[in-house]
Parts: sequence; C-alpha cells; structure tokens
Amino acid sequence: MIAIDHIHKAFGATQVLKGVSLEVAAGEVVCLIGPSGSGKSTVLRCINGLESYDSGAITIHGQTVDVRRSDIHALRTRVGMVFQRFNLFPHRTVLENVMEGPVFVKGESRAEARQHAQALLEKVGLAEKQAAYPTQLSGGQQQRVAIARALAMRPEAILFDEPTSALDPELVGDVLTVMRDLAAEGMTMVVVTHEMSFAKEVADRVCFLYGGQIVEEGPASRVLSEPQNARTQDFLRRVLDH
Amino acid sequence: MAYADIAAFFPILLKGAVVTVQITLGALLLSTLLGLLLALMKRSPLTPVSALAGTFINVIRGLPIIVQLFYIYFVIPELGIDLSAFQASIIGLGIAYSAYQAENFRAGIEAIDSGQIEAAKSIGMKSALIMRRVVLPQAIRIALPPYGNTAVMILKDSSLASTITVAEMTRAGQLIAASTFQNTTVYTMVALMYLALSLPLIFGVNRLERFFAKSRQGADQ
Repeated sequence: MIAIDHIHKAFGATQVLKGVSLEVAAGEVVCLIGPSGSGKSTVLRCINGLESYDSGAITIHGQTVDVRRSDIHALRTRVGMVFQRFNLFPHRTVLENVMEGPVFVKGESRAEARQHAQALLEKVGLAEKQAAYPTQLSGGQQQRVAIARALAMRPEAILFDEPTSALDPELVGDVLTVMRDLAAEGMTMVVVTHEMSFAKEVADRVCFLYGGQIVEEGPASRVLSEPQNARTQDFLRRVLDH
Repeated sequence: MAYADIAAFFPILLKGAVVTVQITLGALLLSTLLGLLLALMKRSPLTPVSALAGTFINVIRGLPIIVQLFYIYFVIPELGIDLSAFQASIIGLGIAYSAYQAENFRAGIEAIDSGQIEAAKSIGMKSALIMRRVVLPQAIRIALPPYGNTAVMILKDSSLASTITVAEMTRAGQLIAASTFQNTTVYTMVALMYLALSLPLIFGVNRLERFFAKSRQGADQ
C-alpha cells in the first residue's frame, strides 16, 4: 500500500535520509526505531508530504506523494497522522476537533460528522469529554483525541510520530491500548516509537534506522530479540537498560 | 471659568468630537484592512511580495504622521486627485497606522504553533482553509489587546487632522480659544472630552488583556 523507494533528503548540507526503502502492506503494523537524528521521523513526514524528499519515490496505492502537486491534499485525507505533541486545535472543543476534517475538508453534514465523532470518542474512551477544550485534558487524553481526529477522516493508514514520547509515564498505557486495538482491527500503521515492548507485541515488522538508512529490518521478535547488526544491538542495549 | 461659557462652547466641541470619532473609525477600518493585507503579504513565500510589504511598513513607520498627512493633503492634489481635508485625514492616519496594525497581526499569526498547522495539513486542509479555521480565529484573540491600544492611539492622533484644517475636536477648541481667549476653559474641556472617549477604550483593553492572560494561564495547566 505504501511504497518508499530509495528516498534521499538533505536539510542544507546535512544528509538526513540516504536511500531509504520500505514497503508497507495493507493491514500491516511497521515500527520505525532508532536513535534521535536517525531520520525515522523524517521518513514518516515524507509519507504524507509534510516534508519533501529530494530523490527517490513514495507512492500510496500507486499514487505519487509530491508536496508540489495539487493532489497532495486529497492524498493526506487518506493517510492520517498523530503527532508527538498532539497538536489539537486549542480554540475548539474535543468534539469540534474531531469533526473539523470531515465537515470542512470532506464536506460531510454536521449531523453525520457528529455521530461519527461521538462514536470515535467512545472508542478512545473519551465520550464524556466531548465538550471539553484540549487544555482541560491530560496529555494522554489529548493524544487519544488526536487519534480520534485522524480516524474521523476514515484513513487507509495512520502514521504515528512518537505518540507517547511527550507523555507522563502513567499516561502512556491508555494511548498504547487504543493503538493496540487499532492494530487488531487491521489498521495499517507506521509507528515511530521508543516503546520497545509495544513494538515487540504489536508490530509485524520493525525497521532500525541509523544515520539515514534502514540498517536492519525484519519481524519484530527477531529484530528486537536477536538483532544481527552491531548498531541495532548497541541501540537496544542502551534503550532496554533504562 | 463661567458656566455660561462652558454651555456655549460645549455644542461646538461636541460637533468636533463627532468628526474626531468619524476620523478615528474611518482610519481604524482602513488601517485594519490594509494592515491585514500587509501582514499576509509579509508572510508570502514570494520574496518580491514580502519585500514590498516590508519596505512599505518600514517607510511608513519611519515617517512622522504629520508629514504623511501634509503629503496626502498638499501633494496628492497636485497629481490631479481631489481629496477633502476630511478624506485626507482618514487616508493619512489609516495608512500610517496600517504599518503598526500589520505588526500586530503578524505577531498574532506567528504566535500560532506550527504543529497545529501541520495537524491541519495532515487532515487535508488547504492553506486558505487553515488560515480561516485554525490561524485567524486564534490570531485575532492574540492581536485584540494590541489592536485596542492602536485604536486609542488613532483616537489621540486624529487631533493631527487639525493641522490640515479638519474641524475635529482639537481644531474646534483652537478656533474657540482664538476668538474668546478662554484658553483654560476651552483646553480643559477639550482634554476632558478626549479622556471621555479614550478612557473607556483603555479600560476595555485592560479588561481584554486580563481576560486573555487568564485564559492563557488555563492553557498551561
């Protein structure tokens, strides 16, 4: 479904992606792990065109992702994104945040969008918070609203950019539970994460990035339990020591 | 200070006050529209557009308002465009303050976290929709207190229109004082009438600032 073919990307003189290739099949959950600065978030941001890439190609169901093309907006409605810092609209209620895309981008009727939004808030366990403003919620609750907002567009895939990194440890669990449920329902997911236990349990595949390249890739159980590459071994040792 | 004098001067000054309010509102409206346009131009990815707006803002800020008024009232007619003194004062103050308004609006727009704009993009919103639904509703709240301060300054600087013969409140006062020599009475009345107009506006702005400071505090919790 998502095909990344040898993409390169530089920020000024710094080469951040050096030929990354990755295929994600429908229904698959792929976790991208690696040290900070390895390029994993950049890969994710290239998939829905929040970042452009210099060479190579990314396609979603065969349609090229290109920031300069006018079909980028339509493409983004098919691939949702959840951010590290939630990025909810602070001037709108929880329900309005979830309804915003369906009503103003897809042109759904308010009644229809409200019904769907309420069902999604129910699903992420926040039905009773629909009238609250984001600032009145905990980080974990905000992140679950952000997931509902992405789901409201009925996307074919969702990208998660370190969705639990900004959360207090006791709030991580609820967000991971929602993500686990989504994976079980067959949602295609690409997840940049430092939650190794989540990756081990939920991911079909894990890719380890280092220095702008995927240096090791395979089934989660193998990459995380018996890493072959020295860099992966080193990284996992440090992460798991924590 | 005779009560008879006050009673005699008041209707004349009140007439001037009406003109003062008209100039203030006209200049506020013009500066708002032009300021918003300049703020958006300055954020344009096209360098010539943002450079043009930047240059305009700097030139306008670098000129005394009174010189701008003289320019519009005395020079523009030589180019064949007829302007009444009243029109010239609104246009002059409107342009002069558009530069400050542009900075108010720009600060408001730039205060919006870029993460929100990315989130809006990620659900497929195009830039015009992002502006309308995400950026402007929040930017207006942020820009409102400085906007109120600008309104107070326009109100006070509308007195500069007296220098190009507009019979607003200051000019009305000057004319009465010149013919009656009742300087103390006249200018005290003029000062009090300006305060009657500006103080409610200032209190309103203070309340707004407190209100927004409170709601921002809530945002941190």
